[in-house]
Parts: sequence; C-alpha cells; structure tokens
Amino acid sequence: MKLLGRNAPLDSALLGLFEEAASNAERAAGLLREMLAGFPERSELARDVLLCEQEGDRITHDVIQRINSNGIRPGIETGDVHALAGAIDDIVDHAEEAADFLGLYGIEAPMEQAEELAGVLAGAARGVAHALEALRSGDDLAGRLVEIHQLENEGDRVSRDAIAALFTGHIDPMVVIRWKDIFESLEEAIDACETAAHVIEGIDLKRRR
Amino acid sequence: MIRLAIVDSDSGFVRVLTKRLEAMSWDHRVLAAPPPVEELVAIRLNAMVVDPAVLGPHAWEFLERVGAALPAMGLVVCTGRSTVAQRVRGLRLGADDWITKPCHPEEVVARVEAVVRRRKRVSTPADVGPLVAGELEIRADQFQAFVGTQSADLTRREFELLQLLAEGRGQVLQREEIYQRVWGYQMARGDRSVDVFVRKVRSKLKALSPEWSYIHTHFGIGYRFQPETSDDEPAEVIAPAADASGQGSLDAPAASESADGEPGAVQALGTRLASSA
Repeated sequence: MKLLGRNAPLDSALLGLFEEAASNAERAAGLLREMLAGFPERSELARDVLLCEQEGDRITHDVIQRINSNGIRPGIETGDVHALAGAIDDIVDHAEEAADFLGLYGIEAPMEQAEELAGVLAGAARGVAHALEALRSGDDLAGRLVEIHQLENEGDRVSRDAIAALFTGHIDPMVVIRWKDIFESLEEAIDACETAAHVIEGIDLKRRR
Repeated sequence: MIRLAIVDSDSGFVRVLTKRLEAMSWDHRVLAAPPPVEELVAIRLNAMVVDPAVLGPHAWEFLERVGAALPAMGLVVCTGRSTVAQRVRGLRLGADDWITKPCHPEEVVARVEAVVRRRKRVSTPADVGPLVAGELEIRADQFQAFVGTQSADLTRREFELLQLLAEGRGQVLQREEIYQRVWGYQMARGDRSVDVFVRKVRSKLKALSPEWSYIHTHFGIGYRFQPETSDDEPAEVIAPAADASGQGSLDAPAASESADGEPGAVQALGTRLASSA
C-alpha cells in the first residue's frame, strides 16, 4: 500500500521530536561512556542516565500523541513512526539498564570491554542523530548508515570477545553473571541503533520513491 | 566461613558432604582432579579434603608439594582402607589429619574445623608485628594501615592488596597475580579491579602521607611497592619476621640482605622486637 507520494513532505514537528529523542539517546550513551571510564568514582552518573530514560519515555509519548492528532499528515507511515520511536527509546532503555546493573550488582570496577562497548554505543547513537539530520535536510544518508552498521559490527566483535573472556579459566561465577548481563545490555543498545538506522533508511527510500 | 576444596571422585561421599557444607554456608569447591599447586595458592583455601586415590601414583608427591606451598592451609586426607605405613607417611609429608572411609560427614566437618582452628592459632595476625614502610605502618592484626595514630580507613580488600604489595619487597607483581591472590579467582581479561583498588589505596595513603609515594605502576605489567619520597630516595620496608615457630606469613630474607643496597630490601625483625621498639 503506497501512502506517500514522491518527496512527500515530512511533518517537521514529528521530525523534531525524533531529533530530540536521538539527541537524548546520544546524551545517555555519552553519560554511560563517561560513567564507565571513571567508574566507580563517577557512578552517580547513573542518575543522569535514568533521567534520560524518563525523558525518552516522554518524547516517545509525544510522538504517539502527534501521529494520533487530527489533521496531522506525518509524511511517514504509522508503522515506521512506531518502529523508529521504539528503536530510539530502546537505545536509552538498554543504556539505562547497563548503568543500573553497575549499581545493582555492586560492580567494584569496570571491564575494558565494557568501556569499549560504551564508546561504540556513543558513536552509533551519534550516527542516528546525524542520520535524522540528513533525513530532514535531504542529504545523502548512505554514509551515515554505513558508519552505524560498521559500529554495530564492531560492537558484536567486542561483545563476543568480552563474553568469551568471562568463560576462560576459573573466573569468579559472580563476575560472569554480572558482566554477562551488562555486556548484553550494551550490545542490545548498539543493536537498537542499527534498527533505528534501518527504519530511517526505509523512510528515506519511501519518500524518494 | 571456611573455604574448602574437596578433591574426590566418590560421588556418594561428595554429595553427602557438600549437602552438609551448603547447610553450613561454607564456601566449597569440588575438584574431580587435583589442580596445579599454583592455582591452589590463588584460591586461598582454609582447608582441603583429599582422597589420594584420585591422585594416582603422584599422591605422595602432591601431598608433599601442597604441604610445602600452602603451610597455612589445613590438609585432611579422607580415603578408604589404608595401612599404618601409608597413614604415617601421609601425615609426615604434610597431611594434618587422616580419616578412613566410610565416615560420617559431620566427623569430616568437625575434623576440618579442628585443623583450621589449629592453623589460625599459630598464624593469628595478632602474633605478627607491623610492617613499617616510609611513614606507613601496616598492621595485619587490625587489617589496617596507619600514619602515626591516623588510620588510612582501608577496606578489607584494600588492606589485603596493600599488604600483598608490601610483602612483595619491591618486586613487580603482575595484575593477574594480584587479582588471584586478593580476590581468590583467576582475573578475567579486561577486568580493571586491580587498577581501581590500587587507585583507591593510593588516594587514601596520599591523604595521610602526601610526601611519600608507595605504589608504583609498571605499565602493561602491574605494580610494585616501594616507599619513596619526592627526592626519589627509596626507603626500607621493615617487615615482621616469621614467629618463633617459623609459622609467620612473611618470607623475609635475613637482615644482611639489606646491606646489598637493593632498594626495598626487607629487614627481618622479630615480632617481639618490633613490638618492644
């Protein structure tokens, strides 16, 4: 079913909400990276990441409200709106989950692989924000999307290496349980960036059709 | 809580014993085969229950090596029928007790407790004098470090880390080794626990003794304990010697070694001498 015409205009306010959500996700990822780099001294940043998560929920709610408003022509298929809002929200949710686990599990010190994954996540979240800017301006998205995809591959590699490190030799089982959860949350946050990139690519393709 | 390893392949015996240990919340591990002695050092056991039948032809050698490498760990042999000569040989090689199967788990537990109790009596930290380094006095009896009368407020783990480094007598200890000795497990690749705890200890020592630096980083390797002032003059670490029975925890060299001019040479002092000084 074709809902949108060639170069159909995107609802600027809706796009603005997505940009706000992506900026919020970028901030959450940056805070998590900072928190891990300075852990445990910077563990108080978990509170700021939680605030980002709450802000993300608020923006997602606003997005849904916007497309349900009478007389609004979003210029994006409803399914894509939900998918994009959900993916960006997932970035923040998983980042917040990782930050929360650090406190909940009583982590005493970070692992290098977690710091590396947080760096990859920060880069991928920034990529999503840039892709949305390109979507608004009509610039070529391909470079942004390739960058996010490469970061996701890098995240997969680091995550697999990190999990393997936990199952080598006689590691404290508690360390294994704690860090496996944290690595998985970080990887899911990075995966959510790629999901968001795919949806943005789909929106762009439909608009140009 | 007692930290116990069971080296036995008798599933019935192991099941009954571990059930009892779980009820008592003992930290225990069942090992189907004897691990390398270096690994046993790392997991910081209070005691080990071992069936020589599992060890095969190297049983006596294993008992001897474990007894020598882990003098603070209780070693209880629990095995089937044996001759008087075998029991005497085992006890002389390093076993602290010998139990003949079949036996009640309660008896095994009681004998392990007795062995651990005896070990604690001979190596209680109160018997070990303070280790003095620069302005710092590291007191094993209080699990704390002091500058004068001021406490560094170290946590248990921070203290153990500091003590391990200080006992290293100026040697560089690798991160992996530090982790194994303090945390009791193998270090996961990428784990930064040692770096974080060294940072915490340094910070606390700096607050009390700002003119001195005690822990030095060897990039990519680990850490070395060496008290130094800003003029880079290394100071002596004055460690308590083994107690009169030779059961002390510090393997300090003779005082004459410090005359070699080696930085950080440890001078052995008797406990009573240290406390009376």
